[in-house]
Amino acid sequence: MSKYGLFLGCNTPALRPDVEHGIRYSMEKLGVDLVDLPGYVCCPAFGTFPSSDEYAQLAVNAWNLSLAEEQGVNLAVQCGSCYSSLRMGSHIMEEAPKREKVNEILAKGGKHYQGKARPHHMLDILYNEVGVDRIQGKLQRRLDGLRAIVQFPCHTLYPSDVVGFEPDKGPPHVLTDLLEALGASVEHYSLEHQCCGGAGGFHKADSGAAHGFLKSKLDAIAAETEADLIVVSCITCLMWMDNQQKTLSEGNGHSYSLPVFDLNQLLALCLGAPPEHVAAISTVPRERITDRFK
Amino acid sequence: MIDLEQAEVIPDMWREVFESEDIRFCFNCGSCISVCPASNADPPLLIRRLARMVLLGLEDELLDEDTPWSCVSCSKCEEVCPMGVRPFELGLAIRRWQVRNDETRIPPSLVELYKEGYTQPVSRALETRAAVGLGELPTIDKDPELLKAYQKMLMATDVVSNNDYMFKG
Repeated sequence: MSKYGLFLGCNTPALRPDVEHGIRYSMEKLGVDLVDLPGYVCCPAFGTFPSSDEYAQLAVNAWNLSLAEEQGVNLAVQCGSCYSSLRMGSHIMEEAPKREKVNEILAKGGKHYQGKARPHHMLDILYNEVGVDRIQGKLQRRLDGLRAIVQFPCHTLYPSDVVGFEPDKGPPHVLTDLLEALGASVEHYSLEHQCCGGAGGFHKADSGAAHGFLKSKLDAIAAETEADLIVVSCITCLMWMDNQQKTLSEGNGHSYSLPVFDLNQLLALCLGAPPEHVAAISTVPRERITDRFK
Repeated sequence: MIDLEQAEVIPDMWREVFESEDIRFCFNCGSCISVCPASNADPPLLIRRLARMVLLGLEDELLDEDTPWSCVSCSKCEEVCPMGVRPFELGLAIRRWQVRNDETRIPPSLVELYKEGYTQPVSRALETRAAVGLGELPTIDKDPELLKAYQKMLMATDVVSNNDYMFKG
């Protein structure tokens, strides 16, 4: 059984703990042991220390990485920006002189980062370590008959040489393959690779453009596919694409209500988890999907 | 439009902004903008324009730029830049340079991170967590000594120590 330190970040455990439960449940069923990282802190998010002081950013990255290192494990991360922040930080700290300078700061907090612990995204672990075959062998229920579209987590794609884990060059397909392994059919549409619009700095700077991204995606999904649901693997994509459909529907004359799930939530449901634990919190009602698991 | 006849130009300013010399290889091809979600914002984030401003040393104009802060952090620009300029890193470096030169640019969230460790109420979401069958997490506030050590570490960083009045109390 492989073992990872579960790095939850801030949004998931505070606002969408059902996603956390989905992760804990599904990974355990698949033989991946997740341990908590006592004393972990915000990754740090790109709008915080990375935007104000590079060594403060790296020190906070190293704080979190050192907690995993103390337990002799790598980190498992679902949130796209947590993953990217930690992954880019650990990449920068591969350079020994940088890491030494960071360790001088880290030492004030009584910690040390050797450069061993590395973050892995949940999709990476599921696809490259657990594997599609093992997942299929464990399923108790399937998503047969459901049509889905996917939102690829951008932070796991670029720059590919630092954060990437797709098995080949060309369009990403890890999320698609994992979802198809659960029995869903994945439909494609013209704006599949467009940004969801959910990044904090972006929607603060121009809320209209950020909502426009989501609206144009939802309109394209409706026009070009028969999708029953949207599947993501990033908490920002999940919260933005779910919560903002209500905003887009207000005063619009058109009601948007396409259910949004994190992949691990669907995986947990297919592995036998009760919906009230792993798919309980949403703005768009999801009963038409979750009822089949009751 | 920036009037270069009138603008004050600081030739070596780029060294203060971005530690990578690769920025000088930018030939303004616009690949970064063609894939940038935030280039659709109003005002648009035009990273190659920012690279030009850095290289020309347009200090006053760059200090006033809000657009580096609308980046979505997808880093697709880094994937496509043919000259290895690392435009995403450049955007963050511009933010940091602005913060070093103008304390009103310091993200207010830093104080929250210093005091509690998180950008959301992770340690107070007990009811939300219990409702989905989860207990408390071992958040940093559960170990006051560890929180103190974390704060001591942050106090050793430039942004916190140079602006310590924001973080104390």
